[in-house]
Amino acid sequence: MKNKWYRAGVFVFFFLILVLTACHAQRRVEQISGGKKRVALVAKSAESAFWKTVRAGANAASTEYNMDLIFEAPLSEEDYAAQNQMIRSVVEEGVDAIVFSAVDFEANAEAVDEAAEEGVKIVSIDSEVNSSAVECYIGTDNYEAGCLAGEAVLECQAPVLNIGIVNYDKNSENGQTREAGFRDTVAKDSRAVIVDAINVNSTTEEAKEGTLAMLERNPQINVIATFNEWTSLGVGYAIQERNLGDRTHVVAFDCNVVSVGMLETGEVDALIVQNPYAMGYLGVENAYSLINGQSVEQEEIDTSLMIVTKENMYDDESQRLLFSFDK
Amino acid sequence: MSRKKSKKGKRRLTISISEMFIVLSMGMVLVSAVLAIVIFVQIYKDAMEQSAVTGSEQSIVQVQNTLENYTNEIETTLELIKQNMDTPNEDDFMQNLVEVRTDIAAVTTYDDSGKLLQCWTAGLALKPEIMTNLSYEAYSDKSERLNISRPHVESIFVDVYPWVVTIYEDTIDEQGKTRHLALDIRFSNIANYIDDVGIGQRGYCFITDLKGNIVYHPQQQLINLGLREETGTGLEDGTHIGSEAIYTAHTMENCGWKIIGVSYVDEMITAQVAGALRRLLIMLTGILAVTSIFGWLLARLFSRPAKKLAKAMEDFEKDAENFAYSVRGGTSEITTLSESFGHMVLRIQRLMEKVRQEEISLRKTELKALQAQINPHFLYNTLDAIAWLCEDGQNKEAEEMVTSLANLFRISISKGHEMIPIEKELQHARSYLKIEQIRYKDRFTYQFHVDAACMDYLCNKITLQPIIENAIYHGINQMPDEGRIDIRVFSEEGDIIFQVEDNGVGMTQKQCGEILQRESGDSVGIGIKNVNDRIKIYFGDEYGISIASELDEGTCVTIRMPKIKEDKFEK
Repeated sequence: MKNKWYRAGVFVFFFLILVLTACHAQRRVEQISGGKKRVALVAKSAESAFWKTVRAGANAASTEYNMDLIFEAPLSEEDYAAQNQMIRSVVEEGVDAIVFSAVDFEANAEAVDEAAEEGVKIVSIDSEVNSSAVECYIGTDNYEAGCLAGEAVLECQAPVLNIGIVNYDKNSENGQTREAGFRDTVAKDSRAVIVDAINVNSTTEEAKEGTLAMLERNPQINVIATFNEWTSLGVGYAIQERNLGDRTHVVAFDCNVVSVGMLETGEVDALIVQNPYAMGYLGVENAYSLINGQSVEQEEIDTSLMIVTKENMYDDESQRLLFSFDK
Repeated sequence: MSRKKSKKGKRRLTISISEMFIVLSMGMVLVSAVLAIVIFVQIYKDAMEQSAVTGSEQSIVQVQNTLENYTNEIETTLELIKQNMDTPNEDDFMQNLVEVRTDIAAVTTYDDSGKLLQCWTAGLALKPEIMTNLSYEAYSDKSERLNISRPHVESIFVDVYPWVVTIYEDTIDEQGKTRHLALDIRFSNIANYIDDVGIGQRGYCFITDLKGNIVYHPQQQLINLGLREETGTGLEDGTHIGSEAIYTAHTMENCGWKIIGVSYVDEMITAQVAGALRRLLIMLTGILAVTSIFGWLLARLFSRPAKKLAKAMEDFEKDAENFAYSVRGGTSEITTLSESFGHMVLRIQRLMEKVRQEEISLRKTELKALQAQINPHFLYNTLDAIAWLCEDGQNKEAEEMVTSLANLFRISISKGHEMIPIEKELQHARSYLKIEQIRYKDRFTYQFHVDAACMDYLCNKITLQPIIENAIYHGINQMPDEGRIDIRVFSEEGDIIFQVEDNGVGMTQKQCGEILQRESGDSVGIGIKNVNDRIKIYFGDEYGISIASELDEGTCVTIRMPKIKEDKFEK
């Protein structure tokens, strides 16, 4: 009798294994062919070359991983409220993950937490947000970027470096970290004196106005450091207007065709170029991993940085980094 | 069979027909399915690989043709430009050309020192001061029929940096000075085209120069940033089947570019195999279910009846007499087998009954024959003794003896009955004792102790006489003193016990055993063994004779038989 049960058990067991394997195979096939996942990229701006490149990278990754990409960005780079609104609306639309770059380290946190509670995976790129829901940060090591800017400033051979800083929104985490790295680096050199530091809204016009006012106040300034694309342009235009290209050593951030032109013509002396394409690509790639229940390889991924000067701007590598392969 | 083996305690795996059927059919399906899949995958893989190779080859040839057409056309354009240079309508022609041909970013000429002489573009502003001119610098890498540079950025315009490839020609003007003509072709045309080339599901193609440096790759950005790696650079022309992908390389004839197509085979195969495997599993599940049902049917039709039959045979073996068998269902083979077994059982039972009856009747005949025998010596001796008594004038004793003799024989015969009342048996014993007492001239005395309640029961006739005879001849006859014989009849534990005790010479243990084995003795004709045998035949092994004896003390023979009131064998 016992033997009989034992045999029945073996048969049932075998049968179960078969059924389970069949189900598994079924599910795998579904996974291969199944519904498209959706990922939203909530950026700081849609207009800058930097964010266009981020978007291109994100597009490449979403195509490769067969996902739908939704791109959202506020009109102004200070508009955290609009960003929060965008987060809420994409969550409502039912995205599986958000790749996010925060305008405001604090003010964006709540919306991100809410999104995470809805089960949306959060990957942060470029600038961080104060939320534990962020599972992965991809971006420039901003402190390191600031240090690089500092080093580029110290390249200047002038006996005294009267430095003016033009930074953007005080609440934006990455700008402050860059400035901190910059200050720490120049503090090591006795030639360096930080004469003035201003914060402006992140637009070309305001940066230009601010720079002009700063130069008015402190005519002795011979070095200017600035930390994002728009402020870089503003500073460049101000220098152009005052025709101070030769006298002033300008270290700026990011690149677009105008700032590259200024690099060639001398208004700008060094560009700290980040890797926006990688940010976009890796951001979406990691979002894909998270959606599929895999853990990210690293919680923090630093994308590369490069100092571009007039000398190396047409190197093969710099060419590829500076000029997008627009069609 | 199987049960017997397992009874021996050796746990040997036994398998029933239905299980064997299931296992066999599952095994067969599994083996053939796996074989089929292996063969299918192999064939499929080969076919896929072949088609991938062909597809890749075709795509690359197409790309090559398109690009060659394009470069040929550019060559023609270059020829036209050369023809129109230094002619009066040079400017008009050039301006028209760059306006119409959107793929041409600029046409420029340089002198030997690299100074920009002329520049025609479609509305792009030249930088007031050109710091770097990549179009001219790229001039150094000269190759093939068509001098074509690596893609680079056009660096001479304000705020516009298109990616171009530069095509060069040297011309000699009227003064004999060398002039360098550069035609900058926007790379986006080629790039778009290359991007759109798809080979299979995931395949793509890219362009390298002859040294294996990538000219253009659809995932150029990722490669630049180190997020991708391209392993197929620097391959010879032809098809290369790698572990992950199939590479097809072709070198363009009119410029130093190599087109390499990459296609993936395994992912398609993997998906197909996964599908096939899924189907196989579903099939196996189905087959398992079906075979289980078949197995169950088989068990119901064949093994279970067979097992029942085996069990029936075992039961029959244990108790053949009372075994009853009825045929149960099953396949025709099993039913036939069962029926045959049923017939056999009946037949065996009939035969057994017959044998038993024959045995009983044989015994009876034999016993009757024995009983009918009169030991002649006993008769002669008794008659002699009677004659002597008559001669002596002891008429009373003679009469007594004759009466006893007559009684003895009457009861011996008892109308042929085997079972007689105990009373009669005692009379028989008394008659015999009387005769012997007279013959032995009062050498012994005897006494009966009989429980009157036992008198009505039946017993085998001539039971006591052989025992008494034995007591006289072998016990008392050989002793000098007067012998004594006690005969007791009583009931014990529902049985009747007869005891014959003498005080004769006694026997050894060995002799006691021999008495029960020995065939009939000398005198009356029926030995103790015979008595014992008869009782056992009639009543079974638990009844019969037991002997207790001690040398020089005497012997006590005990006969046990059941209380019966009628003779079942007489009916």
